[in-house]
Amino acid sequence: MVPPPDEPMWIEKSLAGDGVAFAALVKEYQKMVVALAFRMTGSLSDAEDLAQETFLRAFRQLGSFRAESKFSTWLCQIAINLSLNWRTREGRRGEVHSQWAENALTDSSSGFPDELSRRVQMALDKLPAKQRAAIVLTVYENRSHAEAAELLNCTEATVSWRVFAARQKLKRLLKGVGA
Amino acid sequence: MKKFEFDSILKKARIPEPPAEFWEDFPGQVARQLNRPPKSEPERLPRRNWFSWLAWGLGTAMCIVLAFIAGHWRGRMEASRPQDILANPKLVHETLAMFPNQVRAIVEDHSGLRLVLSDGGTLPPSPPLYVRICDGKECSSFVTFSGQEIQVAGRQMTVLADTHGGIILTGNDFVWASDQKIASVNGMYIEARNLGLAAL
Repeated sequence: MVPPPDEPMWIEKSLAGDGVAFAALVKEYQKMVVALAFRMTGSLSDAEDLAQETFLRAFRQLGSFRAESKFSTWLCQIAINLSLNWRTREGRRGEVHSQWAENALTDSSSGFPDELSRRVQMALDKLPAKQRAAIVLTVYENRSHAEAAELLNCTEATVSWRVFAARQKLKRLLKGVGA
Repeated sequence: MKKFEFDSILKKARIPEPPAEFWEDFPGQVARQLNRPPKSEPERLPRRNWFSWLAWGLGTAMCIVLAFIAGHWRGRMEASRPQDILANPKLVHETLAMFPNQVRAIVEDHSGLRLVLSDGGTLPPSPPLYVRICDGKECSSFVTFSGQEIQVAGRQMTVLADTHGGIILTGNDFVWASDQKIASVNGMYIEARNLGLAAL
């Protein structure tokens, strides 16, 4: 993703507390953050809540942003960490929630544009959270294994292993899809 | 199916599109949240009398006992669960192929699967050795190579293969050899076999 030319100015103004400048940053990256959160949670309403939490946290922690990395990468890191924590939090809600989530995905009126999209998201939702995060970053966000390792705070070998294990499981779950 | 073909299927999947108004309203919603005053400190709770402290204490003690019993029961259940992922030669082969001459061991224990890679340099090629150890409480299995030192179930051990395909395990307080036909040593049940590259 190529950053817009005004991005450094928006960041500088946001640091000074300018809400309008920060809203411009939100507008620029809202689709990326909502999509990432949706892939991680499988629920649009949760993705919208997570996206909001991501931007609020980004605003509060903007002072810790270092310009040597891209703003989108930094934002991505906040979103993926919140999504992983959301998973842990939701995991505690137990079987009732997971059954509800599965029903929501199985429901044909759940808003997916096509059958393939729904099946892929159902398969992603069956992966362990860290494997899902590795797939979301490397396949959907086009990050290298080294970048994903930095975002997930683990080694590159660990990311390769998670991607490998996730692919094996996804291949089994998506057998016959796209054939 | 090739990797790029599979990736293209994954990438074709699109997410449900929120209504257009959502994208228009969302930046404003975030901005409004930024302007909200920080949450006030919660009011201090009234002082509890000694009876309520006693009730809380007893309740906490009961929770700790129940958690201990549940944890103990779960541990026993997990120890008896069969672990056989590493017995799958295809998985082992694919994993070793991903990191040629870099894998020191693939370990499967109560915490799941772990990959142990060499810190530097490459390891000499040798046939993979499968070892499974049960110590009465839990079982761990791993695939490694002759000459590797491995930490399993809290024990440091060296795994060696002889020229006849036999496997020898040596630790601080034991030596075990597959050709002795003795499965149990120092309270550990050991099973080992040479997977051999040909078998993969």
